[in-house]
Order: sequence, then C-alpha cells, then structure tokens
Amino acid sequence: MRGNIAAVARALAFVALALALCGVMFQAVGFSAIEMFQSIADGAFLNPGAWQGSLRWAMPLFVTACGVVVSFRSGYFNVGAQGQFYLGAIGATFIVDFLNGYPALLVVPLAFLTGMACGGLWAAWPGYLRVTSGTDEVITTLMGNFIAALVLTYVTGGILKDPSGTGQVMASRPVAEAYRISSETGLSPTIVVIAIIVGLLTWVLVNRTAFGILCGLAGRNPTMIVWQGAKMSRLGLAGFELAGALAGLSGVIEVLGPNGRLVSGFLPAHGFTAILIALVAGLSVAGTAVVSLFFGGLASASLYLPVLAGLPAAAIDIINAAIALFITARAAPGLSRLFPRRRAVGGA
Amino acid sequence: MEDFVVAILRYGTPLVYVTLAGVLAQRAGVWNLGLEGLMIIGSCASVVGFVQTGSLLFGFGLAIVACVLASALLWFVVEKLRANAIIAGLGLTGLGLGGTDLAVQAVYGSQATVNAPYGLPRLGPAFGAFGVLSVLVAAMPFAVFLTWVVLRRTRFGLQLAACGEHPFAARSVGADPSTMRLIALCAGGVFCALGGMELALGSLTIFAYGMTAGRGFMAFSAVIFGAGHPLASVAAAFFFSIVGALGIRAQLIFGDRVPNDLLLALPYIATIVGVWASARLRGGGPTGGFGELRDY
Repeated sequence: MRGNIAAVARALAFVALALALCGVMFQAVGFSAIEMFQSIADGAFLNPGAWQGSLRWAMPLFVTACGVVVSFRSGYFNVGAQGQFYLGAIGATFIVDFLNGYPALLVVPLAFLTGMACGGLWAAWPGYLRVTSGTDEVITTLMGNFIAALVLTYVTGGILKDPSGTGQVMASRPVAEAYRISSETGLSPTIVVIAIIVGLLTWVLVNRTAFGILCGLAGRNPTMIVWQGAKMSRLGLAGFELAGALAGLSGVIEVLGPNGRLVSGFLPAHGFTAILIALVAGLSVAGTAVVSLFFGGLASASLYLPVLAGLPAAAIDIINAAIALFITARAAPGLSRLFPRRRAVGGA
Repeated sequence: MEDFVVAILRYGTPLVYVTLAGVLAQRAGVWNLGLEGLMIIGSCASVVGFVQTGSLLFGFGLAIVACVLASALLWFVVEKLRANAIIAGLGLTGLGLGGTDLAVQAVYGSQATVNAPYGLPRLGPAFGAFGVLSVLVAAMPFAVFLTWVVLRRTRFGLQLAACGEHPFAARSVGADPSTMRLIALCAGGVFCALGGMELALGSLTIFAYGMTAGRGFMAFSAVIFGAGHPLASVAAAFFFSIVGALGIRAQLIFGDRVPNDLLLALPYIATIVGVWASARLRGGGPTGGFGELRDY
C-alpha cells in the first residue's frame, strides 16, 4: 500500500514538473501561462457541462489505453495504437457503408467485430516481425501509423468517399442513424457499458489470469519466463493483438458514436495519448481509468481553447508531450540525498 | 538522370544530417527517438529566426541553439532523471511538433505556413544541373566524412563507442559516459539543426506544421539498418531517399493510374523492410524490458 502511495506521488510530481516546463514554454513564446492553464482547467472541468466533454473523450482513450497496458506489461513497446485506431475506424465504416439497410442488430455487432479485427491485423504484422525476427517494434509500429494515416486519406478520397460531399473535405457517407451508438455528444449508455466491460475484463485478465501474470513477468524478466516454460513469443503476440483490437474498438466507437462518419485527418490522435495514460497510470488498469479522465479533460479542452478562449490548441499537445518526456523518469536528482532509500536485503 | 540525382540529394540531404545525429547518439548508447522533434525545431527556428530578423545567419544560429538546448534537455531527462529513452524521445518529438506549432501561432497568428523571402545560397550555374542545390547539400559529404573520422579514427570516437557498448570499460579509462553522451547528443543537435534547415530552406523556403513527416524516425531507422556505423547508416539513409525520390517521380508518371497515397507510403514501407532486413541479418535487439517501471 505504501508503495502504491509513493508511486502515485511520484507520478504526480513528474506531471507537475512537466506542467512547469509547459508554463515556461508558454511564457517564452509570449502567452500568459496562468491564463493558459486557467482556460485549460475551465475547458476541461470547471465550466458547466465541461465534465460531459471530458467523459466523452475519456472513454475511447480508456479503451485504447487498456490495450496499451497489456502490451507494455508484456515488455513490448507497441506505439502503434494510432494506426490501429485508424484501421478500426476504417473497418467499421466499410461495414456500415456496404451493409447499409440491413437490421442494426446485425450490422452494428459486425462493425464492432470487423473494426477490432482490422485493428488487430494492423498490430499483427509488427508483432509477427518482432517475435519471429526481432524487428524493432517501435519503428515498425511508428511507420505503421504513417501508413495507416495514408490509408485513411486513400479510402475517404476513394472507395468510401461521400459523392455528395464537396471536393475539399474528404469524408465517408454519414453513418445511418440506426447504426449510431451515440449522438454528437459521445455520451450514451452503450459507450459507457463498453468502456466498463473492457476495463473489467482487462483488470481480470491482467491481475487474475495466468496469462496476465505471465505477461507481467515477461515484461520484467524475459529470461525467467523462458525458464518457466512459457512462450515469450506467444505472450508478446497476444499482447500485440489485444492492444490492436482495443485500439480498433476505440476507432469503432469514434465512428459509430460522436463522429458519425469517417473524415480524413479529423479523427482524434488517441494513440499517443493512450500510451501516456498507460504510463502515467504505472500500467495499472484501475489507475488507467482515473488518468483517462484527466487526459480526457485535456482532449476536451483542446477543442475549447481555440474556439472560446482564443488560444492555440497546440498547448494541449505540448502538455501531453512534456508529460511523456518526464513520466518514465526513475530518479530525481537531489531528492535521493534528502530521502535516502532503504532497501530490504535481497530485493527492491 | 541528372534530375533524378538532384531529386535524391534534395530528399536525402536532410535525412543524412539527421542520420548522423542518430549515429552519434546510438554509439553513445542513447536511442534517440527525439530526432523527429529536433529536426522540426531546426526547421522552425531557422525560418522564424530568418523571417523575423531578415538575417539568414541569425536563423542558422537560432536553429543550432534551439536544437542543442532541446538535445541537452533530452540528455538531462534520460541520463540524470533516468527516464526511458524511447518514451522520452517520443515526448521530445511531441514537444517539437507542438512547440513549433505554438511558436508559429504566437508569432504569426493562426496561419499554417511561414514563408521565407529566399532560401539558402545555391551552388550556382557553374555546377550545371546541380546548381539548384543548396550549399548544405555540398557540405553534406564533408559532414559525413568528419563524423566518420571522429567516430572511427580518434580516441574520442572509440571512447564514445565504449560508452554505448560497455560503460564500465569507458569509465575505467577515465571517460565519463554521462558527459560523453551529453557531447554526442549536443553535436547531434547541431546536425539536426542543419538537417531541419536544409529541409525548410534548401529548396522550399517555407516552414509548415509537421513538415518533417516522419523523416526523423526514418533517420533513426537508417541508424538501426546501418548498425550505428556512420557510413553504413548514411548509405541506408540514401536507400530511403532513393525510394522517396522514386515515389515522387512515380507520382508524376503514374499519378493517374496508381493511388497517390500508396506512392507516398513507399518510404515508410522501405523503412520497415530495412529494419526487418537488418534484424534478420544481425538479430534483433532485446525486448523492451519495461518492467522496472513498476518496480518502485
């Protein structure tokens, strides 16, 4: 328990450090840091109704982050959540577009399955290359993100293009009303239930199944896992698949939920944020739920900033990036001298 | 043919400079995924510095200062705070992308691009078809040679490699790995500034948000492909540039028959193939070993 409190305190300390760096940057380029943070807090949580916006963003982020937790726990840096998210959205759009007119009870589950399968497939090839030949998964998944973005432009400008749309905006036909799982607000019982189910299942998987425990061990000590007789490659591939499927699921939620159509370049950048959430939460599922709310708030504020406060939305990207810079830090210079760490004999 | 070589050099020069930065970091033992961010900081600082003061030299200086500072920040976080280099590098990349966006909006309001009045000095008509290339393209072979000499033929280079491969050995001959990494990252920052500057002012004379479009990551892949050897990594960078230049050429020729987006994806696919091939030939790296994160 004491370890948990210390972990939370550390995470908070580094987030605070990141925010301080952001404040300095805002001031340096000529914005008032106080005004900036005030507006972000307003847009995220303080304004009436802001909570709804934050929740709307928190839920797809949480779903993606759950996948990242599993993948990172097994020791693989699958940073391709963004591409897998795109592919999930594309897969779902294909289904609702081609099966338009069939009963929703058939189409919607099929769209969900296809989206998850597409996301899983987009995680499968980096995972396969990783476990068969040791190809660095950081590079392959990053490149996969760029390729997925091009696939998105391609399908929205070609196969899925809405013929009635203007030439400037490349978008698919709007999803039929019957297939939508929420309105523009992105808050509906369906999405909440999906997020809760995903959260519960991931928690059980990670903490209460042999697979989850082995994954956690694999991330800490791959050698030991091999001695235990578990297949490192199988664990890793399963982690990749799960991460991809959940990122894809989040893409389906965005398309059938708040977005209502596939627009090129306008899908939110959930992938990177989800990785951050998982890291800030220290790869714990319960922590991920809480941290998702915070980053959901930031995502919501990035829409609020330019429209209502007249401040650039890039401020949110900077806050996210600064947190990424510091969050994995394991030492604080000076502090170790003030609080010497007592180590138990034979272990940390 | 000459046109095609010009196209390769145009595409490849920024990539080669950033690859050199990656080689320096890699040999010192830092996986620098912040290259993408450093590169865009270099592009942005050079253009904004140039446009604001009207002096190309000031833009040049500003780009170098900004990139070196950002590199030093990465060093501090990775070396002194013992953060995971991959995540911290991605964070620096995000900071570069967001920071340049914010800086441009702060200075010029909400506009997507910043136009510079003119670009870097060109080689001039004396060089025939190559006259359209900038001086930084001409300086590139020297930069590669210099890096090769320093890394492979000097005591410093040997000690730097030791810092990456066996820090204990480096320490035993009096080379402090931490300091050596700072030097390598800051020198890499200078190269990133040059690469970013060539990208923005070499042939385009504009800065646009996200204009690096993954080139920093490509440079990083070139380092992996080239196993951290300066010449091999530069060769890998040229391989990616040839594919990129082919893609641009193919757009002009087959643009109406083959989807454009597919051709744009060519360099990314080449990068994946390259990293895969190098893993097959030499064996891949160890798994991430992310576990320490939870061992508080």
